[in-house]
Amino acid sequence: MQAGLSTKNAPSTSVVIPHFLFGAFMFLIATILILIAAPQLILPFHLNSHMLTITHLMVLGFITMIIFGALYQLIPVVMEVKLKSEFMAHLTFYLFGSGLIILVISFWEANFGPNQNWRWFEISGSLILVAVILFAINTLLTAAKTERRDIGNLFIVTGIIYLVLTVSLAILMIINFAHPFIPVNILDLLKMHINLGLIGWFLFLVIGVASKLMPMFLVIHKLPEHLLKYAYYFLNAGLILLVGAFYFYPQFWLILFASFIIFCGISLFLYFNYYAFKHRFRKNLDTGMKLSKSAFILLAFALILGIFAIIKLDFTAPFQYRIDIAFITTIIFGFLTSLILGQTYKTFPFIIWLKRYQGKVGKQKTPLPQELYSDKIAQWHTNSHLIAFILLIIGELSALVWLIQISAVIFIFTAVLYNYNVYKIIFYKKQIES
Amino acid sequence: MSDIKNLTSQEQQVAEILKTVIDPEIAVNIIDLGLVYEITKDEDNKTINVVMTLSTRGCPLGDVILENAQVVLESNFPEYKVNVELVWDPVWSPEMITDEGKKAIEQL
Repeated sequence: MQAGLSTKNAPSTSVVIPHFLFGAFMFLIATILILIAAPQLILPFHLNSHMLTITHLMVLGFITMIIFGALYQLIPVVMEVKLKSEFMAHLTFYLFGSGLIILVISFWEANFGPNQNWRWFEISGSLILVAVILFAINTLLTAAKTERRDIGNLFIVTGIIYLVLTVSLAILMIINFAHPFIPVNILDLLKMHINLGLIGWFLFLVIGVASKLMPMFLVIHKLPEHLLKYAYYFLNAGLILLVGAFYFYPQFWLILFASFIIFCGISLFLYFNYYAFKHRFRKNLDTGMKLSKSAFILLAFALILGIFAIIKLDFTAPFQYRIDIAFITTIIFGFLTSLILGQTYKTFPFIIWLKRYQGKVGKQKTPLPQELYSDKIAQWHTNSHLIAFILLIIGELSALVWLIQISAVIFIFTAVLYNYNVYKIIFYKKQIES
Repeated sequence: MSDIKNLTSQEQQVAEILKTVIDPEIAVNIIDLGLVYEITKDEDNKTINVVMTLSTRGCPLGDVILENAQVVLESNFPEYKVNVELVWDPVWSPEMITDEGKKAIEQL
């Protein structure tokens, strides 16, 4: 085998496909629940059972599930090593999926009052924690075999470690609810959990993957990777300081200082993206990259909202919590959703295409990976997603339930179209010509 | 070995065949992408050697492209032994794309 050959390291599609199917379906369920729970979505988010249900459906059921599936393919391919265990990957999927379903049902039915039963939270949390630990063992042992140690790989590996910390903290919070033992305000624990998840897990992973895929998708070389090295130090230092501050010394100035360091790290990453898009050789962006570009613009928007969210730290102040909700909504429903929708088209069709046509290339006429889905439908849901997101943000900031409901209907439309394309990719059938 | 810019007419035929090998992500052929560095067609020993690279190390479709190149050459030159060699030096850059390739990418 020649150096650099990569797809021979890819796992079987039975590892990857269930993640995309499940993730897309959870996205649809989450959007339906926005419509049902719209009146609750203008209330403060801590201990808001319906908002927590939708948030966890999105971040775990949709976004994390698809990231897991994509990473099982991406880590072996870009790191040029075989996945440690496909069996462990299957097991992770079932544990994570079942844990998630129990968790979101528990959230939906929770009242968080003195009579709240925490048993199902403990069971679902434990299932998710075991799944995440298995995922971390599997991917980190895979990554450990690689000879390619670069900043992209470092971001991915660090992100996985933060995921374990995020979920571990969630379990501690559940246990603490049932049997209080942590001498820290629950809101500060919640802020630690949110920051570890959104910055530690998602942002680190996005930066790592972007540094790997951007050169391929945009046809660009000599990217300023030193910016990502600085971003890595800033983000780690800022995040550790922020989480430490919430636990040990939740003072405004310290939280502001930690946030500023994180802000610097994110700004460096945004500039890296700006440079890549500006200097790309491939000027015309396909739908997948248009969605990704929107995602990075939405990240910049989230950064601005983040500043307003941090300046006043009181979660319960009348308008402040709407800013906080808008900030988190922008990250989850704007930045991350747009990125996942876009990157689905940049990864999933290729995974299926490789499985179906790899042995036939050159011998028979085969379709291009881009032909496995409807680009027109992808374009429709690109536009509908943006409209739905804008209406959702305005609806939340102005506390207009009817606007959130209209947004939800457009989100459902987006999710249906996205699901259609995911199914179309999986079940693509075309008579290939000899 | 003949540099891709100084091919004999026989080697030019090989290059033309390699133009049917498409990078599935960019949808442009590997010759116009500048991925092929050298082609040698040895009439005496009945061998075809191709030295090529990929646009990115760890390219998810890398071995599909290499296999495709191997298959199309073997099927078009059945009496020849084909060897497609992957190299990383020199590192590929967009400047290596031919004018035809640039036009094709602009039209994407």
